[in-house]
Amino acid sequence: MKKFGSTLLLFVPFAISLYILFVFLSGSYLPDSMHSNLVYNVGSAGHSFSRFQELKEQKNIDLLFIGSSHAYRGFDPRLFPDFQTFNIGSSSQTPIQSEMLIKRHVKKLNPKWVIYEVYPLTFSMDGVESAVDLIANDKNDFQSFRMAIKTNKIKVYNTLIFGFLNDMLHVNSNHKEAIKKYNDTYISGGYVERKLAFYKAEKVPTKRKYEFNEAQFCAFNASLAYLRDMGIKVILVQTPIVESEYESYSNNSKFDLLMRSTKLPYYNFNKLMHLDDSLHFYDKSHLNQNGVQIFNKKLREVIKSNDLLK
Amino acid sequence: MLFNSLNFAIFLPIVFVLYWLLSKRPLKLQNALLLLSSYFFYACWDWRFLFLLMFSTLLDFGSALRMEDAKSKREKKWWFWISIIINLGFLGIFKYYNFFADSFAQALAQVGWEVNPALLNIVLPVGISFYTFHGLSYVIDIYKDRIKAERNLIDYGLFVSYFPLLVAGPIERATHLLPQIKKQRTFDYLRAVDGLRQILWGLFKKVVIADNCAEIVNQVFANSNEMSSGALVLGAIFFAFQIYGDFSGYSDIALGTSRLFGIELLQNFSFPYFSRNIAEFWRRWHISLSSWFKDYLYIPLGGSKGGNWSRVRNTFIIFIVSGFWHGANWTFIVWGGLNALFILPSIVLKTNRNNLEIVAKGQLFPSIIELGQIVLSFVLICFTWIFFRAENLGDAFAYINGIFTNGAGLAALNKSYLNLLLLMFFLIEWMGREESFAIAKIGFRWKRPFRWVFYSFLIFCIGMYMQTEETPFIYFQF
Repeated sequence: MKKFGSTLLLFVPFAISLYILFVFLSGSYLPDSMHSNLVYNVGSAGHSFSRFQELKEQKNIDLLFIGSSHAYRGFDPRLFPDFQTFNIGSSSQTPIQSEMLIKRHVKKLNPKWVIYEVYPLTFSMDGVESAVDLIANDKNDFQSFRMAIKTNKIKVYNTLIFGFLNDMLHVNSNHKEAIKKYNDTYISGGYVERKLAFYKAEKVPTKRKYEFNEAQFCAFNASLAYLRDMGIKVILVQTPIVESEYESYSNNSKFDLLMRSTKLPYYNFNKLMHLDDSLHFYDKSHLNQNGVQIFNKKLREVIKSNDLLK
Repeated sequence: MLFNSLNFAIFLPIVFVLYWLLSKRPLKLQNALLLLSSYFFYACWDWRFLFLLMFSTLLDFGSALRMEDAKSKREKKWWFWISIIINLGFLGIFKYYNFFADSFAQALAQVGWEVNPALLNIVLPVGISFYTFHGLSYVIDIYKDRIKAERNLIDYGLFVSYFPLLVAGPIERATHLLPQIKKQRTFDYLRAVDGLRQILWGLFKKVVIADNCAEIVNQVFANSNEMSSGALVLGAIFFAFQIYGDFSGYSDIALGTSRLFGIELLQNFSFPYFSRNIAEFWRRWHISLSSWFKDYLYIPLGGSKGGNWSRVRNTFIIFIVSGFWHGANWTFIVWGGLNALFILPSIVLKTNRNNLEIVAKGQLFPSIIELGQIVLSFVLICFTWIFFRAENLGDAFAYINGIFTNGAGLAALNKSYLNLLLLMFFLIEWMGREESFAIAKIGFRWKRPFRWVFYSFLIFCIGMYMQTEETPFIYFQF
């Protein structure tokens, strides 16, 4: 039994070391299609790389936006000229990743207010897509490790191993991301503007429900508690999506109730304003630039009429 | 609790350490620990069905004692049938009631009599087919005076509920497992290391081979009417790999886990896809079930005695019953019937006992004839798997029809890494085909660091190619 235990004690670190080496070699030298549980895309969709590069120069801002693509495609800093803003939204960002970003960056950014974009779908996701995006495009530290544990998926662990090694070896230090990619243009302040396009109606499933993930609510509450402890005021905003898409979910009101139970100002713009599906959206859940202008104007009005951001 | 889950990765080491800490204590403590762990393991699926398992255990334990103590043949027979009827009754209600009720209603509808049978909305208790067969073999062996009744309830309970084999076998025999349970076990380093090695290979087969093939198989079978002929053929081949990787992977994990506790379970697979005919395939595929049917159905029916007609009849009976054992669906029955049909030439020509040794033993390559036989057997088996995998007979026939009519060309089944993994898997299985599992001896002559690099590489493959979500084993539904 002793021999068995000591052999295992030798084998485990040996296997872990080799595992790390194999992950590094496969991520570095094999094509992406050959390592299914390692997704490391520097400069992926949504200009995350540019955003987090720009973030390094930011501090003491007025207003921080955080959330999913609805945040970085929905809050245009040019439409908030009275405030110094920054947007750390990222693709499919769920509350688990938001918590990581808040704990990593908020101290330095020192915002007076945070507009936290809450999209029910991100509270129902596992967060893998966003986790691997942020590992590849933001720095990695102890918070990344905590986020990986909370997400608890092998794809995130592998990508994190590769990310740590790449950071250590400064592999991405010379990477440059184009300001214009496909139909997207990166706007200083973390915003991404999509070339004007219009939504074409598509078939929406009949009634369905969000299956909320308890871990996402834990992370969400942890973020709110952290911001409260820092003395930062938080506004929760649900950005508008195409009406038929919104109405296809039967438990929107449950989500509204959960948000209101935080006792923070919460605004669901799907109910506060009416936008035209084909004129103001480019897909079922993202506003086009016309829609962003109307939405941001309405948001400013709501902020003003409720005496927020003072 | 799945073998390929984090929960099991925590559960197993805890039980392992506690178990060997008790090795200097009386054996009954070790057995009690294993029994409690097994009940905990089972309760993790659905604690309500634990009572069914306990009831089944008590029933067979009690009726075996009554049979042994019976004062007359009549009394013995009475207790025997009590046990058989209740065991099969539970199996029938949980597994087959809806099938029979539905089929009966459909038959009546054919003659214009519409009835709406009351179908049960119940979940199939996991492992019921396996532990019922454990119990049945025990009771039959007692009735036939082959073994003595077990008088220790904990030992008998462990025989039925031992967690490595509880939910998907191998289907053990009292003559094989009970003596091991009653004997003091001592820790054997080589056996434990071998167990770990077998667990590793089982995990590789399940999470790398089976689960990745499953993605393609699900895609092909769900959209078979839109798939090209090439894609449909590939779908059937990938399913052959999926079900082998899934079930033999499970069996390897079960056997390896049991070795950690010093208990050897029956070998369930022995490289079936290297078989040279269907008879050989069935000696190498789900061995514990095949031998169960042979001993408790085929031989009592007369076995190979008598003329060709009785051999053919008995063969068809056991294959159709075996198909039905897998599930209450006509697809399984046709699958069993097809296997009987394909085995028929060997039965009639009395060549079914040929090829007892593994193919090309002691050689690197098979002969051309052997290769042809292996390929032909594999093609026939893949054909039968179409029925096994299809949702219903209509889908199965449409799938087969599609192979011949959907037009040539391979669909873009874009998993380039899977082809390499399958090639690696095939080569390792071929190299290790003379052992009880493929990597049992691979690297034995290498220096330790090289051997460990090989194991580490398998671990890496598991981590890099496993599915993000845990996927259950196919045979848990049976």
